[in-house]
Amino acid sequence: MTAATSLAEANPRPGSTFFASLRRAWDHRADYLYVAPALVVMLIVIAYPIYYTVELSFFNTPPSLQLRDKEFIGLDNYSVILGSDVFWRVTLNTFIWTIASTVVAFGLGFGTALALNREFHGRGVLRAILIIPWVISAVAASYIWKWIYHSNFGVIGAVLVELGFVNRPPNFIDSVGTVLPSLIVVNVWREFPFAMIMMTAGLQTVPDQLLRAARVDGASAWQRFWHITFPHLRGVSTVTVLLLAVANFNSFIIPWIMTGGGPSNASHIWITHIYELAFGRQRWGIAAAYSVLLFFILMTLGYFYVRALSGGERKERGA
Amino acid sequence: MTLMANDTVSKVRKPIDAWRWAGRFFLLVMLLFTALPMVWMLLTSLKSGFAAMQFPPQWWPNEPTLASYRKLLDPNNSVGQDFLRFFWNSLFVSTMSTILSVIVAVPAAYAFSRFEFPGRKFLFFSVLLRNMFPAVIFLVPLFILMRLLGLVNTHGSLILTYLTFGLPLAIWLLKGFYDNIPYQLEQAARIDGATRFKAFLLIVMPLSTPGIIATAIYSFIGAWNEYIFAYTFLNKNEQLTLPIGIQRFFSENTSDFPGLMAASFMMSVPVVVLFLLLQRYFVRALTEGAVKH
Repeated sequence: MTAATSLAEANPRPGSTFFASLRRAWDHRADYLYVAPALVVMLIVIAYPIYYTVELSFFNTPPSLQLRDKEFIGLDNYSVILGSDVFWRVTLNTFIWTIASTVVAFGLGFGTALALNREFHGRGVLRAILIIPWVISAVAASYIWKWIYHSNFGVIGAVLVELGFVNRPPNFIDSVGTVLPSLIVVNVWREFPFAMIMMTAGLQTVPDQLLRAARVDGASAWQRFWHITFPHLRGVSTVTVLLLAVANFNSFIIPWIMTGGGPSNASHIWITHIYELAFGRQRWGIAAAYSVLLFFILMTLGYFYVRALSGGERKERGA
Repeated sequence: MTLMANDTVSKVRKPIDAWRWAGRFFLLVMLLFTALPMVWMLLTSLKSGFAAMQFPPQWWPNEPTLASYRKLLDPNNSVGQDFLRFFWNSLFVSTMSTILSVIVAVPAAYAFSRFEFPGRKFLFFSVLLRNMFPAVIFLVPLFILMRLLGLVNTHGSLILTYLTFGLPLAIWLLKGFYDNIPYQLEQAARIDGATRFKAFLLIVMPLSTPGIIATAIYSFIGAWNEYIFAYTFLNKNEQLTLPIGIQRFFSENTSDFPGLMAASFMMSVPVVVLFLLLQRYFVRALTEGAVKH
């Protein structure tokens, strides 16, 4: 491919090249056969639901989900949401949950990746053990931690009592003040291995010679990290943080199974709240309106996500 | 030469040791943080219901018993019957969606990697965007769609759904692999008279086997662990997959923690074993796209 055609591709002018690109599309018709099955599946199961959710958000739909009886109410669902106290509570929770989980999981994952970057005996085994929480099901993880946090027989409470820190085991997930941090711990437990995997791979791209040269020149460990390792990891860090943030924002299983959003909404985040509105209380319209708002938030995040990813793509193709 | 440099440097510069010890200490803490919950799951699963409910707890089971496991695996009582059925349901649904997802993802990823058709970039990123959206957004419409297709309360509904959310990452993982296979290999085959499809089948496919394995593991683990769609689409006891089955099971008898821990353990074993056996491929594929920056 020549430089001229790739330039034209990068900046298609609307109008003048419309027919040209149609013709090009026709020339490439065989290529589309390869992607067609994937696109058809995605279209049915994604485009249709998104369209449908938007529609549902403007209607009052009866609990039975009998679509014939739905009633157009404009933006009422949205004003109900924005006027409710629960909305603000849940939004704050989601904010805390997403940011705290992402920051701590990334920090621990990056830290373990760095510590594992040095060759030592048993490194492979250690790494394999550290990955396991990420592989096991979130349902199993939720039950394990529910048992660990149990207010009568939980092991953490028992240890705290034995060590004399408290008189009786604390109610980790049954009290408003501690439930969110307790769930964040579980989430971090499950997610830091992902950050570890990504950052380990990133560390392998840091040129060894550069580090060695800096060492010979007398750079301290910190200087080497800050001036060589860290800049090389910017790309992979961005992608990892974004992926973690999106995954945390979309969490469902851990809060749902461990607390169901309680006590008094203290651990409800957007997703669990939407689920409860829809399938618990059959408020389909409100749940749909929530989903549409969520959609806009995620599109914003998605913009950065795609930009971070296509940055790599551009470089790779340009090289 | 490097060896010498390293030696002198480490002799001269003491702080390096401090970093190393800090790293080791940190790894120890992380090991405990990671492993202790799983150890506690195993220890609890070896206790009787009575032994588990003590305060202070028996740190080590006084009379370890495999009773919980025996109960879950015994096809002659109702608990075992249910558990084994859930297990097979999970296996069936996960295997089917994995096979389908690989079949659909391979050509798409190949096209995204090799061809320059208009809209390629847009389509690739719209496929990726699917990963951004939580399942909850799709639940109600998909529930209605499945009702229309008559798939509610069948495994078909889950296989179809799992296929779609496995696809974006599958396509991404595989594209990374194809990008790394030199195009010249195919060109050589084309010059020798192979069609584009034949070159793909005979040259590219064998080379991308590790990528396909990684993609398959990813799809399988995702489907095996999926909860929310199974929770919404399935209702009958005969069809439930493990995560939902276990939940149903123990919501009736919440105090059987040894049983719950044994079930959690058994649910984790297949995916952990699969992952550990093949993690080399998996980790490579997962990180391939991200580290190119």
